[in-house]
Amino acid sequence: MKVSLFIPCTVDIMLPEIGVATYKLLSRLGEQPIYHPEQTCCGQPLFNAGYRDQAKRVAKHFINVFGNDECIVSPAGSCVSMVKYHYPELLEDEPSWCDRANSLALRVFELSQYIVDNLGVTDVGATFKGMVTYHESCHILRGLGVSDQPKKLIAGVKDVQYVDLNNSTVCCGFGGEFAVAYPEISEAMVKDKAQNFINTGAEILLLCEPGCLLNIGGYLHRNHPGKRAMHLSNFLANNGKEV
Amino acid sequence: MHSRVDQFMEMARKEMKNELSQTFLKLVTFWAPILRQTALSSFPDPVAAESYSRAIRAEVIERLPELLEEFEKNAISRGVKVIWARDAAEANNIILDIAKRKGVKYITKGKSMITEEIGLNDHLIKNGIHVYETDLGEVITQLLSLPPFHLVGPAINVPPEKISEIFLENGILKEPTTDPVTLGKAARMFLRKKFKALDMGIVGVNMAIADTGSFINVENEGNIRMNKSSPKTLIAIMSLEKVVPNSADAIHMIRMLIRNCNGRKITSYVSFDTGPKKADELDGPEEIYMVILDNGRSEIYKDFKARSILKCIRCGACLNTCPVYMKIGGYPYGFVYTGPMGQAINPLLLGIENTTDLYRACTLCGSCKQICPAGVDPPTLFLEYRSRAIRMKNAKDNWTLLSRLANTVVTVFSFGMSQGWAWSLGVKCVRPVLNFLSKDGYIKDIPMGIQGWFSCRDLRAVPEKTFHERWKDLQNKPVPLADIAKKEVI
Repeated sequence: MKVSLFIPCTVDIMLPEIGVATYKLLSRLGEQPIYHPEQTCCGQPLFNAGYRDQAKRVAKHFINVFGNDECIVSPAGSCVSMVKYHYPELLEDEPSWCDRANSLALRVFELSQYIVDNLGVTDVGATFKGMVTYHESCHILRGLGVSDQPKKLIAGVKDVQYVDLNNSTVCCGFGGEFAVAYPEISEAMVKDKAQNFINTGAEILLLCEPGCLLNIGGYLHRNHPGKRAMHLSNFLANNGKEV
Repeated sequence: MHSRVDQFMEMARKEMKNELSQTFLKLVTFWAPILRQTALSSFPDPVAAESYSRAIRAEVIERLPELLEEFEKNAISRGVKVIWARDAAEANNIILDIAKRKGVKYITKGKSMITEEIGLNDHLIKNGIHVYETDLGEVITQLLSLPPFHLVGPAINVPPEKISEIFLENGILKEPTTDPVTLGKAARMFLRKKFKALDMGIVGVNMAIADTGSFINVENEGNIRMNKSSPKTLIAIMSLEKVVPNSADAIHMIRMLIRNCNGRKITSYVSFDTGPKKADELDGPEEIYMVILDNGRSEIYKDFKARSILKCIRCGACLNTCPVYMKIGGYPYGFVYTGPMGQAINPLLLGIENTTDLYRACTLCGSCKQICPAGVDPPTLFLEYRSRAIRMKNAKDNWTLLSRLANTVVTVFSFGMSQGWAWSLGVKCVRPVLNFLSKDGYIKDIPMGIQGWFSCRDLRAVPEKTFHERWKDLQNKPVPLADIAKKEVI
């Protein structure tokens, strides 16, 4: 089946290897990923900052680019929840756009959700000898209700040992502009997340959200060099190796 | 109440360094969810119980004007004197007038957020009527002139040594002690004397029942019951969203309120009052006044996008789950309502332009929405306030050079974000600038604008190729299919 890749701006610019891993995973499972080069950003940063008129413009661009795709998959839950839940709200006073947004909402999926729920696959053929744990990102867990799917994919990895992360559902302190505007509070939060990860003894902290990865990964790089946070798609596509 | 939300970050920094506050917050993080879950598990179907309470509150908001009129009618028929107060000043004056008319020298008070909201204590004391708080935590915060730290434990962060010291100063205690039981007993003996021959007591209201005209209070110390039963004149004050349709709804809401508030199935005391003492009854107040306070709520009711905040039952479950509250505690919010519920309602009560930090200091993690037994969705409200703030800043008669500049920059960005080519060009231009600052593949600091990020984090240097640029290469290298057979999706 043709699957349209929705590669959010953070992935496109800062973490392109996640996009590559997403492409590889889907191809490996027999899907035919397509990519619209006109795609940009879902507009969430503008929407969250309160600039709704401008976010609307970006949302309309997104709808124009993806509007005819049967199935849209993204390695970023937060951006999926933006399209799924906030586009219809953002465009509520423009009925024809709102209809298109509502129709699009049904066709956007987070990567792990798509692989497990839509393809019915939990073993993607990955191998990893070592211990890993998983951080439940807010918009994936509470926004999309996705929690079992990534864990099933981890359980499907050959030789992997999975350990629960204490307070795995508590926010890591990213929150987009929050991390920049309230650095002290954000630091206290990401510090807890890193400490809980270190306490598990796991080698890699897995997650499905590029935003959390920039935050936790950046914190670990500064304060606990050698400790790794990794996007699940990357882990599965490259057997836990950094690319 | 005077708001100090402008000191948000200042207070937050202070609280993050306050060991006692941090210890308490850590304890709450650990215990609150466990206790709450245990209490909720006593329902045969906790999820259904939660849906039911959300349905009740949704109905209340839908029928609010009608329910209030029904409550008023039934309360009056039971002999309660119902007075409507438009705002804080009016409510304060109504209560002061009654107190003056009755010639009371002092008033005792049960713990109530609504009286904090209107600053009743200050108003009465200024006019020569002494107010004794009677909840132990409130006694302590009143003596220390502190705002409440947590809505259930207003003084939970005050160490016993400090309590002993102020109790000695105020003649509540004779010998210094740090024994909590002795301290509690001293306060109780002191307050008992005030309850004897009491002329007037004031309480808040947890819930008001429309079809009976009753009002309900839940508490653990028995002081509210003393306040309700001892005085000749009882004044109850409630904000107008506290009403529920009937007793069955009230009982369910009480069960949910307590489970969500302090993780127990029931508080030590739950009292229902339906009218004053009748001619053939021995106990109870001779007169009951019910002050129904608006203080901006009718406006909130009219505001369709914000109205849902009126569903809030002030249980405080959202405080105990909020990752930001867990780090900074209650003081930074600067007003009686703290945590997510305060962040959601205070901007409407105090003005969106005065409360920026409340709706911005949030990661939109959604745990408050998930836990709320009343069905409030704070993150959606915060997003709404953020957009209103931007609109207000750019309004015709309100704009500044800075707000115009920001708006223009964002608009230019949004144009760039709506054109594939502009986006790619933008990335090409930004990459060398960012990477100029990088060392060993990481950026340690960017001096302008986003330095907050770098206070504790690094940022990876921008890779040489975006995904967009790698796409062509990808297509040329076919990926082998996985050996694992794909399961058929039925």
